[in-house]
Amino acid sequence: MKALRYSSLLIIVAILLLSVVAYHLRAAADNEVPRVQLNTDNIAPRPIEDLTSKSVPRDYALAWQTLEQALEENQTGLLDGYFTGFAKQDFTQRINSQLKSGLHTRYTDRGHKLEALFYSPTGDVMELRDHAQLDMQILDGGKVIYDEPMNAEFTVLMTPGADRWLVRQIQATSGEKP
Amino acid sequence: MKRVFPLFLGGITLVLIILAWFTSGGVARREMRQANTPEQAVRLMLSQIQGHNFDAAYARLSNRGDVDKNAFIREFNGSYGSLLTYSSLENFDIWGLHSSDQESTMRVRLHYSTGVGPLDDVRDVKVQKSGDTWKVFWPVNNATKLPPQVIPVNYLRWDVIGRGAGDEWGVQNVDTPQVRILSMNAIQRPDGVTLVGEVVNEDSVPAFVNVGATLLDHAGNEIAQESSFDKIAHTLLPKQVSPYRIDFPNMRMEKIKNVRMDAKALLAAASADPVIEVNQQKVETDPLGKKVLSGQLTNEGGQVVDIPHVIVSYYDSNGKVVWVSDGYVAQPLLPQVPVPFAVDLPADISKNVQSYHVVVNHFDRVSS
Amino acid sequence: MRAVIIAAMMCFSGVSAVASEIHAPAQVTAGTAITIRTSGSGDATFYLVGPASASKTKVQAGSNIPIDSDQLEDAGRYVAALCASDGCTAANFFVKPAAANKLSFLVHPSRVPVGTPQGITAVAIVHDSFRNIVLQPSPVTFSIMAKNEKSVSAARTSENGVAWVRLTSAKKGGPTRLGAAIGHADEIRVVQQVAADACNLRIKASRAKRGFLVETEPVHDCGGNPVPDGTVVSFTESDAAGKTTVDVPIKRGVAKIEMPIDGSAKITVASGVVTGNELEVTGGQ
Repeated sequence: MKALRYSSLLIIVAILLLSVVAYHLRAAADNEVPRVQLNTDNIAPRPIEDLTSKSVPRDYALAWQTLEQALEENQTGLLDGYFTGFAKQDFTQRINSQLKSGLHTRYTDRGHKLEALFYSPTGDVMELRDHAQLDMQILDGGKVIYDEPMNAEFTVLMTPGADRWLVRQIQATSGEKP
Repeated sequence: MKRVFPLFLGGITLVLIILAWFTSGGVARREMRQANTPEQAVRLMLSQIQGHNFDAAYARLSNRGDVDKNAFIREFNGSYGSLLTYSSLENFDIWGLHSSDQESTMRVRLHYSTGVGPLDDVRDVKVQKSGDTWKVFWPVNNATKLPPQVIPVNYLRWDVIGRGAGDEWGVQNVDTPQVRILSMNAIQRPDGVTLVGEVVNEDSVPAFVNVGATLLDHAGNEIAQESSFDKIAHTLLPKQVSPYRIDFPNMRMEKIKNVRMDAKALLAAASADPVIEVNQQKVETDPLGKKVLSGQLTNEGGQVVDIPHVIVSYYDSNGKVVWVSDGYVAQPLLPQVPVPFAVDLPADISKNVQSYHVVVNHFDRVSS
Repeated sequence: MRAVIIAAMMCFSGVSAVASEIHAPAQVTAGTAITIRTSGSGDATFYLVGPASASKTKVQAGSNIPIDSDQLEDAGRYVAALCASDGCTAANFFVKPAAANKLSFLVHPSRVPVGTPQGITAVAIVHDSFRNIVLQPSPVTFSIMAKNEKSVSAARTSENGVAWVRLTSAKKGGPTRLGAAIGHADEIRVVQQVAADACNLRIKASRAKRGFLVETEPVHDCGGNPVPDGTVVSFTESDAAGKTTVDVPIKRGVAKIEMPIDGSAKITVASGVVTGNELEVTGGQ
């Protein structure tokens, strides 16, 4: 009888633990680092260094991961890691106004194709074009007011920070050729 | 059965107390109350210094009349914010050199634990018999002191005003200094791989420099990353050259295909003062039989240098850097007063050394 | 599950009497006011979400909704949505940058040795008045104004919002002004042109109290520009007592130091990677 009581207790604890683990795994899966492919065929005038060609897509992916989380949870602090300058100002402003209006933006990221356009001769700024595939949902509280998959194009300025590349400006374009 | 356990515990406690007494030097202290031999005299005095019982240690000197007590204490406790002010005497070794009925010479090696790592100080100490007991004859410090005076110092000083945090991107800024790695040589040592070389500040402003290295294996993967840490003079004035050394412990050369070097420089406020002259440099064998590069440091300025740090690059006959060694000097550099220094040079490397270049770095309480 | 709910909402709105609709212009220029037309009737909520803003207002479905110019300053994609009792309807539109009127002007380095070929780089990123990147090609005028010399200009057309030039530093030291202009923007940066490495580094020695006073002749680069004070000159002296080295910063154009010399000695001098002449002197004890 005693053994039965203990084993049922154990099973309950195990179920609780498993549900916590499952919840965290789901949360982690929701917030995966997006896929980013970098094409540097047309980069000029400075050739890209090996290390930079690895760190730019990595940091850009992490920037999107934190941006998506920041816009969904309305947490401006998450922007500190990978954003600076106008990009940080703009997204901070967006999150503050989302908070004021009770809105959230949820992205499902289906990947980014980055094309490096300009890398300054002194290596202090890089301009890129991002062909992104995203599903965007805008929610008012729990109510979905907008839901659309989109093929977006962004013009991005990235600048080197102490140990990473930071997104300085990101501007969606309608895809028109300049 | 019930009594066995308390008895066992009591026994264990007693053993531990005895062990603690032994390890804390209880036996030595008991033996040393009477200095019946020269070695005991020195050991007793050093034990008392170790225990900060300077009065008792001073009382063990045979020439108390000539030795100022405060000066004696300063020799162990340091002064002017020198390295010894941030250290403690951990332990010491003593061995005899010469001995007679009335006088003996002992060699002592003092092991200090300091804020920058261990520091050894080797001294030869005379011990004299005084009645039934032996006493230490402490050498009188006759270092000349500069008479009171005003020394005009008008070397340059650089301050930096950077871009404010709120300033817009792209507005005028001052760039970080241009530094260049002049040379790099990878050496297999018994305990790992060491990279040695030199770096120069090519700019017209001072730079705070650090050199880092990443080792890559044959597949191009990063296998280790280290920096020069304190084996470099970090603050380099315009056109100044510093040696650097980066150690990769437990690394084998066969594993390494490539090395990625990275010299990072920041703008730094700095002063061209003090100028430190390094005199009488020579490679010699020290009293312990080790190869050292020794010499004297002379502070040409008027401000006390608290912690001098000597870094030396050694070159072979082709002018290639074959080793870099460094050492902290325990004494402060008072204006115009020469202070000796010695830094180790591995015996196997000393055979190939044709010339050397000494750089003196310094750390001060006010500025560094 | 979400899709099902939305589909259900859409179906529900389809069967209602008058479905709400929203019409936004396809493209707008940044900083321009617009009106968004809606249809339907009854109370509704209007949402406008842009790159740097998100707003929610109560409106009447079927009315025209004015959007102020200051709500449309950031270029990018905007979503306008209208939610009424019959569900939500949305339209999206792009705000494109206004005319080029500002520059982010990056000039490197801030210090450059004289006569360095292609040693100065100037990059201009073209913005409109609202800091949006202007991707349309725009002419940027770069100019260089050296002290006591005539200004020289060159025009470059921006590509993807960026224009840049590379310049060779002048033969004479001193500050030079670099400018970039577009629209009402005229940005100026100052580059300090400093002496290059020392050239013909020479030392002389004379007897002094503590041995010999060793000093350099005034230190110049090969173009005759004085090497700045503070630049380190390394003196090395070898005699019977060993070697003496000292790093001395240049002060008022020269570097000097008093060195103790025992017997005959050889004195050499270097600054960075440049070496100078060698002296042989004989001193006394």
